[in-house]
Amino acid sequence: MAAVGYGAGFCRAGWQPSFQLIRHGSKAVTRHWKPMHFVRQKLMEVTEYIPPKPLIAPECMPRVKVAEEEHGFVKFLRRQVEQTFLENNMIAVCQYNYAPGGEIVLMRHRLRKYNIHAKFFPNEIITTVLMESKYKNLLPLFVGRTLLLVSPETRAQEMLRVLKSIPQIVLLGGCVDNTLLSREGFANYAKLSSLVATQGAVVGALSVLPSQTSTILQRGPVHLTSLLDQYVKQQTGDGAEAKEGGDS
Amino acid sequence: MLCLLLFLSGSSSTKICTPGLKKYALPPDYSGTQIPEKPKLKFVERAPNVPKVRREFKNLRDIRGPSTEATEFTEGQYGILAMGGGYLRWGHFEMIRLTINRHINPRKMFAVWRVPAPYKPITRKGLGQRMGGGKGAIDHYVTAVKAGRLIVEVGGYVEFGEVERFLTQVAQKLPFPAIAVSRESMQEMRDKEEERRQNNQNPWTFERIITSNMLGMRKFLSPYDLQLKGRYWGKFFLPDRV
Repeated sequence: MAAVGYGAGFCRAGWQPSFQLIRHGSKAVTRHWKPMHFVRQKLMEVTEYIPPKPLIAPECMPRVKVAEEEHGFVKFLRRQVEQTFLENNMIAVCQYNYAPGGEIVLMRHRLRKYNIHAKFFPNEIITTVLMESKYKNLLPLFVGRTLLLVSPETRAQEMLRVLKSIPQIVLLGGCVDNTLLSREGFANYAKLSSLVATQGAVVGALSVLPSQTSTILQRGPVHLTSLLDQYVKQQTGDGAEAKEGGDS
Repeated sequence: MLCLLLFLSGSSSTKICTPGLKKYALPPDYSGTQIPEKPKLKFVERAPNVPKVRREFKNLRDIRGPSTEATEFTEGQYGILAMGGGYLRWGHFEMIRLTINRHINPRKMFAVWRVPAPYKPITRKGLGQRMGGGKGAIDHYVTAVKAGRLIVEVGGYVEFGEVERFLTQVAQKLPFPAIAVSRESMQEMRDKEEERRQNNQNPWTFERIITSNMLGMRKFLSPYDLQLKGRYWGKFFLPDRV
């Protein structure tokens, strides 16, 4: 078992043995798990890793919600919603139900003729945007699947006419010229004549009186002159009669 | 306005449902990724091509302790990490090569060896031969692998989830414990290890006891324990130790 070998560099300083015993039996690296010496086992047990113990258990701590960074797509949608509400004068909120075939496409096409655009936004995004804007009172309309019909002009009449042809889209309410309108409000609004016509009527009504002013103003003096004329006529008639009487 | 008032009056009891928003994950950044000309694993020779061979000693030290080479990624992003020491035979090389080459898409992915071809001769005595009569003839060659060494690297326009399955499948068949890792997961492992070392609440660490030879402990330990600090035992790596 034991063999005689010469160890160069085995003992670095001082006395060097002329020969020493080299053991060839036991290996440090084995195929299997070699049991450790009992003292070493104890040492391994003593030097185990002990994790740090927090003063307050994590279960007892209040739950801190990790602030999740907003996704780029969400930011983009939010910006679009803001822009839509800023740029358009007429905003109608509709309930959007499934319509078969290309009816929705057709409707959008027909609406686009009147410069009315259909927009689809997730309610989650719209709610967060509207909470901070002046359109806060529109929020209860956004339930379920909704569709926004927006236009920079106020073309309620045309919109209602198009929506009448497609019953799957239900008008819920909206906002025209910073005025909240219900469904009936939209119908009433559509019945109103156009702004230009109304303005014309007002202008016509207003211009009637000024045109009459001169005649009214002139009526007094004209009346007076006619009276005076009458009077003069009468006087001259009386004088002639008197003259005729005196002569006779 | 009327409609709104109706809604608002009932809003205390009704719950406003908002459908969820689909989240689009940002695609991973593959800038700087290049597929080499030959993306597949190369065939490894069964024996080194040298005219004269010498029979070597067993030299089991070459699988003991942590590896000093091939511990970092070079080209790829994912790999197989050895969690213990052992010898790879030619059969293992073939198994790795065939499995990985079968699974990778050569237009999108590549794989490279991080271990040399078998170089260490292992001798065996012939069947039915009596003991004695000197050392046997060279039977085969092996590659020594220490713990913490990468065996193969895989990279390209892929995510870890796509390669993890077959890398794990390969890792389970190796003659030592091995796992599939990515650059991130390997860094995470190292960070965790460092964090454990820093935050160890046990004042009696293996290193402290052995360096100061407390209770004459060195009598039962080997000089190797001074460098390995109780984290390795033979060819085994003890990942739970600090």
